[in-house]
Amino acid sequence: MDIGQLQAYAYFFFTLLLVFLLYSYIFHLYISERRGTKDYEKYGKLALDDEISSEPLEKNSERVVEK
Amino acid sequence: MFHWLEQRPFFFTIGVFMVVAFAGLIEILPNFAEASRPVVGTKPYSILELAGRQVYIKDSCNACHSQLIRPFKSETDRYGMYSLSGEYAYDRPFLWGSKRTGPDLHRVGNYRTTDWHENHMWEPTSVVPGSVMPSYKHMFSNTVDVETAYAEMVAVNKVFNVPYNKPIKMKDGSTTTVKLPDSLDEAKQEILKEAKEIVKDMKNQDVKDMVEKGEIPEIVALIAYLNSLK
Amino acid sequence: MGEQSQQTAPIQYDYTVAKMFLVSTILFGIIGMGIGVFIAFELAFPELNNLFGEFGTFSRLRPIHTNGVAFGFTLSGIFATWYYVGQRVLKVSMAESKFLMTVGKLHFWLYFITILLAVVTLLSGLTTSKEYAELEWPLDILVVGFMVLWGISIFGLIGIRRERTLYISIWYYIAAFVAISMLYVFNNMELPTYFVTGMGSIMHSVSWYAGTNDALVQWWYGHNAVAFVFTTPIIAIIYYFLPKESGQAVYSYKLSLLSFWGLMFVYLWAGGHHLIYSTVPDWMQTMGSVFSVVLILPSWGSAINMLLTMKGEWNQLQSNPLIKFMVLASTFYMLSTLEGPIQAIKSVNALAHFTDWIPGHVHDGTLGWVGFMIIAGIYHMTPRVFKKEIYSKKLIEIQFWLQTTGIVLYFSSMWIAGITQGMMWRAVDEYGNLSYSFIDTVEVLHPYYTMRAIGGAFYLVGLFIWAYNIYKTFKCGRELSDKEINVNASPMAS
Repeated sequence: MDIGQLQAYAYFFFTLLLVFLLYSYIFHLYISERRGTKDYEKYGKLALDDEISSEPLEKNSERVVEK
Repeated sequence: MFHWLEQRPFFFTIGVFMVVAFAGLIEILPNFAEASRPVVGTKPYSILELAGRQVYIKDSCNACHSQLIRPFKSETDRYGMYSLSGEYAYDRPFLWGSKRTGPDLHRVGNYRTTDWHENHMWEPTSVVPGSVMPSYKHMFSNTVDVETAYAEMVAVNKVFNVPYNKPIKMKDGSTTTVKLPDSLDEAKQEILKEAKEIVKDMKNQDVKDMVEKGEIPEIVALIAYLNSLK
Repeated sequence: MGEQSQQTAPIQYDYTVAKMFLVSTILFGIIGMGIGVFIAFELAFPELNNLFGEFGTFSRLRPIHTNGVAFGFTLSGIFATWYYVGQRVLKVSMAESKFLMTVGKLHFWLYFITILLAVVTLLSGLTTSKEYAELEWPLDILVVGFMVLWGISIFGLIGIRRERTLYISIWYYIAAFVAISMLYVFNNMELPTYFVTGMGSIMHSVSWYAGTNDALVQWWYGHNAVAFVFTTPIIAIIYYFLPKESGQAVYSYKLSLLSFWGLMFVYLWAGGHHLIYSTVPDWMQTMGSVFSVVLILPSWGSAINMLLTMKGEWNQLQSNPLIKFMVLASTFYMLSTLEGPIQAIKSVNALAHFTDWIPGHVHDGTLGWVGFMIIAGIYHMTPRVFKKEIYSKKLIEIQFWLQTTGIVLYFSSMWIAGITQGMMWRAVDEYGNLSYSFIDTVEVLHPYYTMRAIGGAFYLVGLFIWAYNIYKTFKCGRELSDKEINVNASPMAS
């Protein structure tokens, strides 16, 4: 099998893999929100509630210099 | 699983890098060795031509002129044989351009003369009425930097094995050699010799006088370069 | 920096560096676009080329225009918004870290000096000739320097953040940083001839790649410089400023996730569409073409997400001129991300390539999308960083309509010019001979070149209005209390 043929096979299976990954990702996003394990949409509020005095949605526990 | 990434900047960045770098690896790498092989008849630039190429780059001629003839009848009728990959083997950088405000120049050496270029670069509308090209009168008084041209020649020979002083097959079966001068002094003599060949067909007295004095005006080098595009 | 000195006072966001970049955005915007308008007039009226000797020709000035707007205006705008948005969505102040503050200021000055040197070197003809990578090697090193400083600033600020989750804008800033750095380094691999030979100009270099390979690397870079300077960071800007200004949370966070990863994956492949019918292998050209069409999906994903964010709040389009700018910007983004893929289809590309349709396409994106977003973002920042009310709403309205008219004139004239030129190049008579000589196809463009230059001039006048409005705000805008600043819609005097 020459390199061209190998490339062709690689592309084909890679495309399949990517399509599979994309759809399972979409499925994962929606199903985990429906089941209530995740609430993605609340992170959209990060742009609106952005004063330094406002409470973070989730505190960054790795932050060393917490005042 | 994926929400994990947006909270971990380190892994997020690694992820972005992998996804982004991937395409380059697959698209660019496989062809590297193949595309840089010269075709028969492609020879490295002589010192005057190389100096002219530097003038071409200095004044960004490539902003308006392409050097890439696409394989369409309308293009081959207008500009000549379509371009081949190997013809660019000694082009560092490539000068394909991306816009034709003026015509393609890849084979301009086949159908324009020194005399035509001289008039055209001095005042484009004198030979092409309606042209929007600027006149490049400063090229008739500015001189080229011979030392830098020679430095480029030596550097590409040393680092990229550009075949100077080696026999090169031409299309008619003969072989030719492009000489790499041994020293800067020899390079200066060589470039002057080449310049005198070009100036023979030119009319501008100031340019002729400069070459007599041993200086190389930019226009002479540029014309030598344009004539070499075939 | 007086605000943060007392220990007892509550921490506040520190916009010192944002202000510096705000000024350079305006400065480089006017220089870059001013030169753009001048060279546009040169194409219509070639006598203008002789005004400044060798330093005034179209060819010498064009790289200064492209570099000026891409790396002067746009990068400044990106950095200005980063030093504003970054702090806010991470809920951490620059004032909390002396180190990051120093890095930020160093970043600005190194950047500023690099761009000034770029103008000087390009004007004197020191160029590598590779588009958007014209800077010679010593300047490339400076560029790498300020990019590294930006990286330290991004990851430093992220390191001390209070908010655990990175907001959408931050993803796009990170992506811009990673990709620009990678692309810039690989495309600018040069061999300075002086160091090999000890002779000649120290500034001179040759490309590490030759011919077709050089073209491949160049357009892998060239296309994606567009992607990661003109697209991803601008998406970062819109994902913050549109929700904030309108008071509406982003329509769908999930859609933003999908479009982000989609865009990251697809964009890099599309570079091959600059090389269709060239001497690069056919499969790369096809791949460039196909991926360009696929690229519509993630691009429109972001744009639609933005438009839907305005759902139920379209009345703001009438009342708030900044919303006008941003909604029109996302519309122009949709237009140019549809137009691009169309031009990447092989048969369309055969006609469009090398014609004025290409600069036309670039300018709907840069003037309509990039320019408008940076203008709107800076306007939104102005009252917050200066704590003053925007001087005049009416001037913003005038600027908006003037610039919109300018863009319409620009792209409509370039569409007509490009297609006319492409058709004339290939036109043949009944015997199969070419119908037109090249100069015929140049002369016919005169009215369109004139119209384009006038459109550009409109946009430039708008930019002057912008600069004036911000200057007046700084100089004599009404002082605002904290309560008046911490609102969504930007406070502006009528």
